[in-house]
Amino acid sequence: MSSALVKCFNLAKAVKTVAFRSFLGTSTSTIQSWSPAATVGALSTKCGLHTSYPMRQEKLLMEFFDDPKHWSENEVKVGRAWKTDELRIKSNKELHQLWYILLKERNMLLTMEHECNEKMEMFPNPERIDKVKISMENLETVVRERNKAFHLLETGETGERPQRQVKNAFGLPMVYRSCEHALPPFMNTKWIKSRHVSCGGRAVQKFLLKYREKLYNAKRKAKNRSRNEVMMILRRNPNFDLNLLRNRFPDVDIDKLRQTDKTRGHYVPKVDV
Amino acid sequence: MSTRWYPIYQRGNPQLRVFLPNFWMKLIRPTEEQPANVVTFAVSTEMTKYDVKNYLEKIYKIPVVEVRTRIALGDTKRDQTYGYVTKKDDVKLAYVTMPKTEAFTFPDMFASKAEKQEKDEKSMDESKAGFKKFLDRNKKRPGTPGWYSI
Repeated sequence: MSSALVKCFNLAKAVKTVAFRSFLGTSTSTIQSWSPAATVGALSTKCGLHTSYPMRQEKLLMEFFDDPKHWSENEVKVGRAWKTDELRIKSNKELHQLWYILLKERNMLLTMEHECNEKMEMFPNPERIDKVKISMENLETVVRERNKAFHLLETGETGERPQRQVKNAFGLPMVYRSCEHALPPFMNTKWIKSRHVSCGGRAVQKFLLKYREKLYNAKRKAKNRSRNEVMMILRRNPNFDLNLLRNRFPDVDIDKLRQTDKTRGHYVPKVDV
Repeated sequence: MSTRWYPIYQRGNPQLRVFLPNFWMKLIRPTEEQPANVVTFAVSTEMTKYDVKNYLEKIYKIPVVEVRTRIALGDTKRDQTYGYVTKKDDVKLAYVTMPKTEAFTFPDMFASKAEKQEKDEKSMDESKAGFKKFLDRNKKRPGTPGWYSI
């Protein structure tokens, strides 16, 4: 009974602190109050990125290792990854800081994993690495969104890397992502040669002919298959809902199919009075 | 994205501005004996010596004197049953020299592991024995809660 009381008390305390934290709207406390527990430890201990450090550097190298109290643990409890919605309400500066925190966290986890593998030990909670990876991906998505919006406002372009469709050596369409060159295209003979690799020769034409035939056959067979399916449905169920069929098989001409003999079953057709 | 796509020229200096680097580095235990101020890292293969130096100095604030790198060939292994060969990825190793005043020894992380495991097992055995005792006592009166009698 006493333990239950203590639990209740702790809960009340926790609720109080949460309420208190949520009322704090200052920029310094936002990261800490919003941080999911995946990075809570990292944030609270390693937030002082740009502060002064003691002269002895051994401590700095220990940033590559987990907290010594986790070294011999079988389980390290962490929270979830950062979500995009949480990251969207952060300022650019905070995102930048968080990126480096995540980077350090990832390096730490990779170091620990490597050492555990070396020593034939179990690496506790390997999903931590995935969580950091997801967080980093989400953060990059958010930065990309902002970048795009900024570029669209300022220049009318997305600011993404320009890309266009070109044909590759097999004559098949491919997305070419352009990059900057020191020389203009007409002077850059090396680049021109690298772009036009034996495309349009006789072998390529032959290949393309057969490739297109293959694609055409696949399309034709799919069409025939759906037509036959409709036919069988109509033969077995003479009163089937035609609108449903039209929605399901939009490329089959159902009214025309109704006229054919194959859609009629082996029975005497009912004549409406 | 423009943070992953470096233009040849942009206005202002420095020309190469990295906002969100996605290089990784892991500190690994050296296989050979090395001076106290040399640390071994496994790094992203595309990192250069300058990248390693800047990464450590700017992000971790670690003073770096010299960086030497090499690419270690991944191990190949022949499958015992089918005979095909698999290969592990190549990895770039960076040997980073810090100033003479610094020293770093790779920590032994699993020193207290056996001790802890023993302790865990002991407590597990104790709780198992306690539960067994409880079951034995309650054989003739099933369903009685644990607090019912001493």
